[in-house]
Amino acid sequence: MSFREKTHWVALVALLGAFGWYFANYPWSIVDTRAGVYAAIGMLIPVTIIFLIPMVIGSAWFAIRSPKEANLKEDEREKTIHMRGTHLAYYPLVLGIWANIVAMINGNSGGVMLNILLATLVAAELIRVGSQLYYYRRGY
Amino acid sequence: MARLPFTNDIRTLRFLSNEMTQGELGERVGVTRQTIAAIEQGKYSPSLEVAFRIARTFGKPLEEVFQWTEPEK
Repeated sequence: MSFREKTHWVALVALLGAFGWYFANYPWSIVDTRAGVYAAIGMLIPVTIIFLIPMVIGSAWFAIRSPKEANLKEDEREKTIHMRGTHLAYYPLVLGIWANIVAMINGNSGGVMLNILLATLVAAELIRVGSQLYYYRRGY
Repeated sequence: MARLPFTNDIRTLRFLSNEMTQGELGERVGVTRQTIAAIEQGKYSPSLEVAFRIARTFGKPLEEVFQWTEPEK
């Protein structure tokens, strides 16, 4: 498994852990209030920490174990995988934006729209990282 | 995944070149070991540049490294 594939696995686990915690623990009963917006903003601090710690430790650990690979530039296959993943992530982003527009037209609260935006971001990242891992595994 | 319409003799050529490893070939060509493995297994179609670099590493013309196998229509 290449260095980049390993860091992608770490990113996937960190993403699921951080935002899994967020969506499981968000106080949905107050989502329509101003406090709901502040709760979301406040929870983004631990989310960032939960996400960054495994990313930093994992990347450093794999770089120490295989420094040669860590310093290699992306080759053409990896660039193609990178672009394919980013391309696929565009679709959930568009859907999320439309969902937010609908929420805005319906007069939904700031808390609802903020959570739709966060869910959109997470879905796009999961598709990006997940599809890139799929292509790495398949040997694309 | 659709099979590529060509095969290659990279594995044999590596063996004949003092049992060159995939990593060594990758270093010479400028790609990762995993990319060489994917090309060898027919899972990845390299760019013309990388194909030429591989052939030049073995001192062979392109056709001796990659062979078109799809029947002509």
